[in-house]
Amino acid sequence: MILADGISLLCNDMQVDPQDIVMLVLSWHMKAATMCEFSKQEFIGGLQSLGIDSLEKLREKLPFMRSEMKDEHKFREIYNFAFSWAKEKGQKSLALDTAIGMWQLLFAEKEWPLVEHWCQFLQARHNKAISRDTWSQLLEFARNVDPALSNYDAEGAWPYLIDEFVEYLTENSIVQIGQMSDWSQKC
Amino acid sequence: MSAPKKKNFQIEAFKHRVVVDPKYAEKTWKILEHAIHEIYNHNASGLSFEELYRNAYNMVLHKFGEKLYSGLVSTMTAHLKEIAKHIESTQGGLFLEELNRIWAEHNKALQMIRDILMYMDRTFIPSTHKTPVHELGLNLWRDNIIHSSKIHKRLQDTLLELVQHERTGEVINRGLMRNVIQMLMDLGSSVYQEDFEKPFLDVSADFYRLESQQYIECCDCGDYLKKAEKRLIEEIERVSHYLDTKSEPKLTNVVEKEMIESHMHRLVHMENSGLVNMIVNDKYEDLGRMYNLFRRVSTGLALIRDVMTSHIREIGKQLVTDPEKLKDPVDFVQRLLDEKDKHDKIISSAFNNDKTFQNALNSSFEFFINLNPRSPEFISLFVDDKLRKGLKGVTEEDVEIILDKVMMLFRYLQEKDVFEKYYKQHLAKRLLSGKTVSDDAERSLIVKLKTECGYQFTSKLEGMFTDMKTSQDTMQGFHAAAGADLAEGPSLTVQVLTTGSWPTQSVNTCNLPSEILGVCDRFKTYYLGTHTGRRLSWQTNMGTADLKATFGKGQKHELNVSTYQMCILMLFNKADRMSYKEIEQATEIPASDLKRCLQSLACVKGKNVLRKEPMSKDIAEDDAFYFNDKFSSKFYKVKIGTVVAQKESEPEKQETRQRVEEDRKPQIEAAIVRIMKSRRVLDHNNIVAEVTKQLQSRFLPNPVVIKKRIESLIEREFLERDKTDRKLYRYLA
Repeated sequence: MILADGISLLCNDMQVDPQDIVMLVLSWHMKAATMCEFSKQEFIGGLQSLGIDSLEKLREKLPFMRSEMKDEHKFREIYNFAFSWAKEKGQKSLALDTAIGMWQLLFAEKEWPLVEHWCQFLQARHNKAISRDTWSQLLEFARNVDPALSNYDAEGAWPYLIDEFVEYLTENSIVQIGQMSDWSQKC
Repeated sequence: MSAPKKKNFQIEAFKHRVVVDPKYAEKTWKILEHAIHEIYNHNASGLSFEELYRNAYNMVLHKFGEKLYSGLVSTMTAHLKEIAKHIESTQGGLFLEELNRIWAEHNKALQMIRDILMYMDRTFIPSTHKTPVHELGLNLWRDNIIHSSKIHKRLQDTLLELVQHERTGEVINRGLMRNVIQMLMDLGSSVYQEDFEKPFLDVSADFYRLESQQYIECCDCGDYLKKAEKRLIEEIERVSHYLDTKSEPKLTNVVEKEMIESHMHRLVHMENSGLVNMIVNDKYEDLGRMYNLFRRVSTGLALIRDVMTSHIREIGKQLVTDPEKLKDPVDFVQRLLDEKDKHDKIISSAFNNDKTFQNALNSSFEFFINLNPRSPEFISLFVDDKLRKGLKGVTEEDVEIILDKVMMLFRYLQEKDVFEKYYKQHLAKRLLSGKTVSDDAERSLIVKLKTECGYQFTSKLEGMFTDMKTSQDTMQGFHAAAGADLAEGPSLTVQVLTTGSWPTQSVNTCNLPSEILGVCDRFKTYYLGTHTGRRLSWQTNMGTADLKATFGKGQKHELNVSTYQMCILMLFNKADRMSYKEIEQATEIPASDLKRCLQSLACVKGKNVLRKEPMSKDIAEDDAFYFNDKFSSKFYKVKIGTVVAQKESEPEKQETRQRVEEDRKPQIEAAIVRIMKSRRVLDHNNIVAEVTKQLQSRFLPNPVVIKKRIESLIEREFLERDKTDRKLYRYLA
């Protein structure tokens, strides 16, 4: 079992920051159940599937793993994996702070111009844990609804938190529906 | 038997003497022609019909039918041409009479000619497919007289002129008119239609277009309608007097179009006299007239209905949103009922009890009653008022009528669960204070609610009645068991309420005076002795007490007060002055209730058994209270009501609202699960629609709330989102 200390040793050896998104990708390959923990089985299984048997090879694999984030399909899998990986054991939902941290990390890889507003909105209006449904639907929202919300459908069965987010955006005139504001063009 | 050759007999046909005279036909025709002339000249008396008939018969028999027929045509035509000239020459007013007279003569002549030529009519004409004599006569009349260039137009004009005269109020010879029109009809329906009806309808349209234009400029709506109705009746009479009955729908159509359809919008919206004005002033007669006239045109009723609907919605909206009118809930509901009665009356007496109008009225009420979120509370308060005092001395039937009206308003409510909540609260107060006037009326309303909303809706209300009954039995048992021990000290009546059935708030028990506490404990012991496993807690906020008090000059009174007030007053057995703080400490009554109690004990004139310093309307925390030994009252029994907030205060309202919302959550979830269990897979919008449908008999669920409940069910793994179509939900068994 590799626990938090072991992870930071591993990171040192790999010469990556433990906060680096690549650690999430690595965990995904290892099918790790929880953040900052690898069981022996997960660790070995993951390395085997990646075809790694030395630290050298692991280091060499890093750029590849980073590139995997650019893959639409893999990103989705990693994104959805991140929820159960990041949440506390035994909990059904993801603590808000963790969720926000994860979102910032994930959407840094795959740009979504509204991510900062989303996080601000959650802190201001919601301040509760995030359910799996909201987590996974947010990615769909980020992918399918353009930042100007021109194709947002209020009847579109989005989780209510997302509906409220849209309301928040329009209320605070951050986005005028259907119009690309200067702000969203800059991004 | 031998068969001798028989001689065949032959019967020869009887041979007519062959007419050899080559001029026979010519001669015979001359006789007949002469006869026709004589008939037209009124000299028929000298003729022998038998002879003439025989001549005509013989002519046909000897194959001179053709000659006879053509001779008839030309003779008659010649006569008619003469007649035409005569008619053309008649002067002015006599024209029609002359035409009519000669028409009658022609008919008579035609009759005679037909009789003479009957044999031709029977044999020659059918075999050669010619026009029979009578019809021929009519056709010739039509072609030579009616369609003669000088008569045709003159006849038409004269007829139309006469109608015009009659329309402007002159008396005309209707008999003559009828005869002439009848002539046109006899000449065939196309003659009537082409030569009279069509131009007549055109003229009528022009006439009414002009007249309605004048009327609409100078009359108000009611007058206009009266005039229109009068015109319509006149035209219908006209048809019955001298026109073809088939013209009636066409003619009324013209009047309807010109007088009603073209102006109906203007009429309905006329300021100070239009539909709204009529409704406001209950002008049943005018409204009835409008209904009956407008019913005749295709969109007329829809127009009335729409204007009525928007009017009712408008006044209703004003009614339910006017803050002045919301001050008194009973009055508010009474106004609603009055409004409903008023419009019911209009619909029944003026609008023929039209179903579509009733529906429009209902939907309007439903619309505006629900504009005010307090409507359910107010309706319940109205019932409360009626059942507390309003129904005293009212017969059973009248009670039923009032309750039925209340039920009607109830049906309009979207948030029936809110009503239930308030009804429960108010019923509880009524039952516990013994204030209800009629047990029958109470039960009758419950039955009505049950039929309307089902068993679930009223089960708790019925539970409350059961509790009351059981409590009576329990008290009897208690007194029987305790017996003489209770003779000393205060007598106690306990109502044991089942938690859940009653709208009990978890209020801390206040400190009861020791005298009371003793009896209470006895009861507790008794009750728990007979019912093991139960828990009793005292709801001191709901009780009442009767106190005997002696004041300064020795006058005695019985004070009817609430339990809280009793606790306060008992303190003054030991002290004459107590500060607010002291009272609060001694009784531990919640501050808001305490203030209310003290207010009603010290600040109400005629019931001020306490005296307050400083004297003011409101209770402050540093006030001091004295026993008021100068208290006096005309009555022995003094009822000191708490200054109850009849209507809920703002925070109470919020609280009730919240409770309602909480109660709705499981109902919505249950509905979602029920639906998903049977449908397995369903998209979001359909779930919302179905849930709304299932619950609308109780309340109108908010789609956002439904969405939240769906998400909660997803989280609890009753449902999941479809992997590919995110709008689709699946039921997880």
